[in-house]
Amino acid sequence: MLHAKSSLHSPLPAAATIKLDTASFELLTSPTRDWSASIQLTALDPRRRCNPCKEFSPSWNAVAKAWSKTSKQHRDTHFFATLDFDDGQAVFQQLGLASAPVVYAYPAAEGSRSTGKTAPSTYDFSHGFEAGPLAQHLSRHTPIPIPYTAPFDWARWTTTAAGVLANRWTWAVVSILTSLVMTSGYMFTRIRNSPFMGGDGSWIAGGFQNQYGQEVQVISLVYGTLGFAFIMLTLVIPYQSSSQRQRFQVYLWTAVIAMVYSILVVLFKAKNRGYPFRLLL
Amino acid sequence: MPQAIPLPSDLSPATVANTASLLRIIALSLISGAAIASRLFAVINFESIIHEFDPWFNYRATRVLASKGFYEFWNWFDPTAWYPLGRVVGGTVYPGLMATSGVIYYGLRALNLPVDIRNICVLLAPGFSALTAWATYMFTKEMKDESAGLLAAAFIGIVPGYISRSVAGSYDNEAIAIFLLMFTFFCWIKALKLGSALFGTVAAVFYFYMVAAWGGYVFITNMIPLHALVLILMGRFTSRLYVAYSSWYVIGTLASMQVPFVGFQPVSTSEHMAALGVFGLLQIVAFTQLVRSHVSSKQFQDILFVALVSAGVLGVAAFVGLTYKGTIAPWTGRFYSLWDTGYAKKYIPIIASVSEHQPTAWPSFFMDLQFLIFLFPAGVIMCFHQLRDEHVFVIIYAVMASYFAGVMVRLMLTLTPVVCVAAAVAFSSLLDTYLDAHEPEPEASATDSAASVDTGKKPKKEKAATGSALADLVAAATPTKKGDAPKFKGVYGTDTRFMIVMNAIAMLSFFVFHCTWATANAYSSPSVVLASQNQDGSQHIIDDFREAYYWLRQNTPETAVVMSWWDYGYQIAGMADRPTLVDNNTWNNTHIATVGKAMSSSEEVAYPILRKHDVDYVLVIFGGLLGYSGDDINKFLWMVRIAQGVWPEEIQEPNYFTPQGEYRVDSMASNAMKNSLMYKMSYYRFSELFGGGQAVDRVRNQQLPKEGPTLDVLDEAYTTENWIVRIYQVRKEDLLGRDLKSANAFAKGKKRKRSKPASRRRALSAAAST
Amino acid sequence: MLLPRRVPLLSFILLVVGANADSFENTAIVRTVDLGGSVVQVATTFAVKALEANARVYTIALGDAEMQKTSWLEARVKGQATPLAVTDHPGSTDNGVHLVDIILPKPLALNATLNIILDAIQTHATFPWPERASQQEPQSLKYGSDLFVLSPYKTLVQRTKIKSPTPNIHGFSTPEKMEDFTFEEPVTKSGATITYGPYNNIVPSANAAFVKKYQRPVQVHFEYDYPVGEVSKLLRTAEISHWGANLNIQDEIWLRNAGPELKGHFSRLEHQTQAFYNRAASHVIPGLTLHLPAGIRNTYYYDLVGNVSTSRLRTAPSVPKDSPNKQYSVLELKPRYPIMGGWNYSFTLGWDAPLADSASWDKSTGKYIVEIPVLTPFPATVVNDAELKIILPEGATDVDFATPFVAHSTSFSTHTTYLDTTGRPAITLRFTDLTEKHALPLYVSYKVPLSAHLKKPIAVAVAFFSVFVFGLAARRIDLRIHQK
Repeated sequence: MLHAKSSLHSPLPAAATIKLDTASFELLTSPTRDWSASIQLTALDPRRRCNPCKEFSPSWNAVAKAWSKTSKQHRDTHFFATLDFDDGQAVFQQLGLASAPVVYAYPAAEGSRSTGKTAPSTYDFSHGFEAGPLAQHLSRHTPIPIPYTAPFDWARWTTTAAGVLANRWTWAVVSILTSLVMTSGYMFTRIRNSPFMGGDGSWIAGGFQNQYGQEVQVISLVYGTLGFAFIMLTLVIPYQSSSQRQRFQVYLWTAVIAMVYSILVVLFKAKNRGYPFRLLL
Repeated sequence: MPQAIPLPSDLSPATVANTASLLRIIALSLISGAAIASRLFAVINFESIIHEFDPWFNYRATRVLASKGFYEFWNWFDPTAWYPLGRVVGGTVYPGLMATSGVIYYGLRALNLPVDIRNICVLLAPGFSALTAWATYMFTKEMKDESAGLLAAAFIGIVPGYISRSVAGSYDNEAIAIFLLMFTFFCWIKALKLGSALFGTVAAVFYFYMVAAWGGYVFITNMIPLHALVLILMGRFTSRLYVAYSSWYVIGTLASMQVPFVGFQPVSTSEHMAALGVFGLLQIVAFTQLVRSHVSSKQFQDILFVALVSAGVLGVAAFVGLTYKGTIAPWTGRFYSLWDTGYAKKYIPIIASVSEHQPTAWPSFFMDLQFLIFLFPAGVIMCFHQLRDEHVFVIIYAVMASYFAGVMVRLMLTLTPVVCVAAAVAFSSLLDTYLDAHEPEPEASATDSAASVDTGKKPKKEKAATGSALADLVAAATPTKKGDAPKFKGVYGTDTRFMIVMNAIAMLSFFVFHCTWATANAYSSPSVVLASQNQDGSQHIIDDFREAYYWLRQNTPETAVVMSWWDYGYQIAGMADRPTLVDNNTWNNTHIATVGKAMSSSEEVAYPILRKHDVDYVLVIFGGLLGYSGDDINKFLWMVRIAQGVWPEEIQEPNYFTPQGEYRVDSMASNAMKNSLMYKMSYYRFSELFGGGQAVDRVRNQQLPKEGPTLDVLDEAYTTENWIVRIYQVRKEDLLGRDLKSANAFAKGKKRKRSKPASRRRALSAAAST
Repeated sequence: MLLPRRVPLLSFILLVVGANADSFENTAIVRTVDLGGSVVQVATTFAVKALEANARVYTIALGDAEMQKTSWLEARVKGQATPLAVTDHPGSTDNGVHLVDIILPKPLALNATLNIILDAIQTHATFPWPERASQQEPQSLKYGSDLFVLSPYKTLVQRTKIKSPTPNIHGFSTPEKMEDFTFEEPVTKSGATITYGPYNNIVPSANAAFVKKYQRPVQVHFEYDYPVGEVSKLLRTAEISHWGANLNIQDEIWLRNAGPELKGHFSRLEHQTQAFYNRAASHVIPGLTLHLPAGIRNTYYYDLVGNVSTSRLRTAPSVPKDSPNKQYSVLELKPRYPIMGGWNYSFTLGWDAPLADSASWDKSTGKYIVEIPVLTPFPATVVNDAELKIILPEGATDVDFATPFVAHSTSFSTHTTYLDTTGRPAITLRFTDLTEKHALPLYVSYKVPLSAHLKKPIAVAVAFFSVFVFGLAARRIDLRIHQK
């Protein structure tokens, strides 16, 4: 998953995050700065075996990239920078850091944006490694909020879609819906351009060889309910472990079948007046 | 294990098996009997007669086959159809139906059982419905088990959706085709399950029979490849699939090309390309599998994969290219209109004008399938639940057929078998569950008592019930494959069982009542003979069609050419035995449009057309006196439309409407309408029938003008008892070379002159005598 | 063939006795013609005086045309019901005159007198005139006959009365130069009757010389208010089944309206108007009322396109054979369309009757005797050509039959039908010009041995048995290539 993501986001434009070493770190965090900065202290070298670093880095880059797209006047007042452990061990020691990654947000010490605070604030990783919360948090230190929007996660979607497509129940739902809709006369309404309802507000068209759009919905709902009741009775209720509950459900669904079936027959009678049979209704 | 109902335990397995087998045979025989018997309403209510329109042609062709032998039939050129073009019947017909009847006829004669060929034709459909029930049993047995099979057989035996096209006398291709369809599918499933080339070949042979019998064979041609394709996509390619498909396709396709009407279509039209494509794909996939099993290098496999994919792409491209160039014919109109539903109406009005090509409204589904229609989705779910290879077939079949049935009423017929199968699977699963005498072990008493405590609070319990039900649904939906403790499945108590069984019996009984009612009332009318009721409630038969046809047969020269709208072509050929201009085999649009033009033009325009086509008699159907709505005036707009398609300058549909856009036949009718031959023939002297009273057309509920139309180029030759059929004779050219109108006017004038003095003379003599 | 078609069953050969002109004298001959459509009834009374003792054979003479028309001839003594034996006169005919001998019940003494009545039915004796008539026009026919009744004996007085069914007689021929026989008007009309004669002192006329000199045709043109039906062809099949105890009779009938052809076209409107005012055109055949035997079942009437749904049948219960109580089932057969002049209508009519009603078993000879009607009487209708096929049970032997009148031709064949193995013997008889009078029974006798009776069940049993044997064998023969 990870490599897929990075392959999608690299290479970063040079301006997005500044690669620091000890010297440039000092420069960036000089006490007389009239800019603010967000600095990621990390250890990306594989030898360091810092998995969280690897995990977090794409989010950082994504946020940095988002910032780099703001207009120049804002962009030049806040910088994103990365200091790798291998480039600045001294800084790590100086700051007393034993773990990575760490994100510091240095507010501006001078100038119009100075709030009086100079000490950096640390990003709380309990928000997670995702770019979204990071951008939200860092926005408090930038002149304007970071225009970060989560990128479309193609990989995840593909996997999910594949999973959905490979799942038989997806297909089952699609198939069932198709046949329900088709057997409720949907194609009739399409081909004949039937209105959704009658002009006089009636929803059921008179005549055996005629129907309105709304009938498709009602009838497929009726068919669906009845079919579902059968599925419940056959596939679900036998797994019910409590005999009382099972009994109740059996009676419940049987009643559902009887009622809905009666309604169906009533509807059919409305279409075909000569139909001689009726159920409960 | 506890039992809800005590079962005998001292039965040996052999006894049980033998008894079950005997019961199955008895049940199947009874189902066959019921299937045949329920189709005999038409014979009992009316008589042993061929129904409707197309069957009359099939019957006529069968008589030729029976009297002259197969060879003559094969080479039969019928000069009386599509006069003066004629029709090569042997090459333009699906001969399976006639051959079947012919074989039965000769077989019975060989046994010294000289059954009348008409009775064979009339009873063929009921006979084959028994075979269909058996084939459905076999098919469903492969899906679930014998009990589902028996239910499916019983369903298809009496379901109106199938009866509608297989009552006694409905001697049409569908009569045998549904059996062939189901049996081919059964053989295919069997071949697929066993990987058997034998069953594949049997499937191919029955496929050939189907091709010879019905144009709907294209459904099989596409269903089986689609199934195979889906199986491949699901990663279920096996050598069994390969063997079954290849044996079916190769033998079936070669065999189907032996039918003259089909010829080279299986390799040259789009409808058949899916089967060819899947055949190619299967070879590729099989080859890949073979190579993969022998070559280990991953690289090589990748190259192979790419090569194969590109081969597939090239194949598709070649297909598209050939279609574009015209080597492969594109979809024919009738099939194309299934996908593009507006196509037919726009470009092929003949196809759109046929009533059985109309879309289906929901009441038709319920009428034809009743409770099966909502068991059907449940059955499809059951298929998804197990999802073996054969279940995939049912699922695809269900989806495709429900779409087709929605588009065309006629294709309800292909939906019916799968609905029966799916519903039988669902219903028999229900019965299996609730008829199983075993009860699950009672639970630990703690939960049981907990459940019994809150019986008082109903709403809460219901919520809990449904909530847990959903949870159970999920549990049930993803069963078996998970290894976690399999829950025992079962039903507690006898009252629940009783409840369900009673409900099931009630539904089945209702189904039987419904089927009987629908069959007796809706599907058993021969349409050649109409029934009405006398005042005392007894049946009165309106037999005008046969009256007219028989009159033609007995009292006109054998070579007299009869012109009528194409609906009646087959009936005239079959019952009146006279040459016709157009008939129900609507192969020549121009010829039909010519007839449409003659019917919708004025006498002056129509007369040369009639004379050029040697028309002696013109036959129209007129329901105005009796209120028979299927008459020619109601079909008239289609005639106009079809004629307009060929002669857009001369015939225009809007001319036949009033300026307000109404379709009227009374005094407000448009001039084009009033002058049309059809209008004149329908209403000629009709108003005189009412004496001085107001003439009313009972179909259109319009009052007709007192002064009826006059005819100059036609003579009324015969009108039936209820005026439903009116036959006119075309006048020959006037001997003195006048046009017929003035000749007619002259003759009338003379008559008037002659009659006037006569009356005066009588008056005088009367005066003298007083 | 110059024989009158009616020859009694009990005919016997007489010694040759010439028609001696001196044996008898006709004191009077009165002929009465009842005009009709296709059937005309002619009754001739001969008042005979014997001129010699022991005269036993009275000879009558028929002219050529008369011979052609006459389809039925029956002689009896006035006041008695039993018909006299009639036989063809031995020796040939004399130029257009055919002689027929009537054997008197007992020889007449010298100068004894006897009144002999000769009943004859003539068919095709009338023809429509004018030949075409429209739907509203009345129907008129012309009847043609000979003026004189020929006789080999001297005749003192002779007259011919022609009775028309309606007084509307358009015309009749008046014979001229009748001075030899009468001085009065040779023909008179009174009401619906035309009388030719009386003519006196006619010399023996059954010779060519008289015919040439005096005989002349006369015609009567009259209006006829009933349809002129004609069955151009009738095929009757009678199938005797012992297993079914059934006698199935099926008639294929080609009916035709022989009246004037319809002029112009048929108008339903006029037809319905006429029916509404109860003035239906007289020459239309709206239907036939047929008397079928009592006790019939499974009656069917259909034509080439199916049942004639417009017809009705009233069946009478079965009556035992030889019962004096004559009952009929009545079939009101209404063709699909009214049969106008010149129109045709063909149909098939059939029924099953209990065999017991018409069969008996003769113990002495061991033969079955079955009585089969030659035809169903069609009222006032002539059957031009009839073919009767009698199908006997399978294996019937010693077949013998007796017809009530002579058939044109007789042939034997084998008919194979349901579950037969060897086929059934069949007799085919052909007749022409049959009328109601010919609706007489025909007797067939035959033997059926027990073995023939058993043929059918044995054949069926063997057939079923072989199916089971085949099934038995098929289950036990393993045709698999790979043995398990």
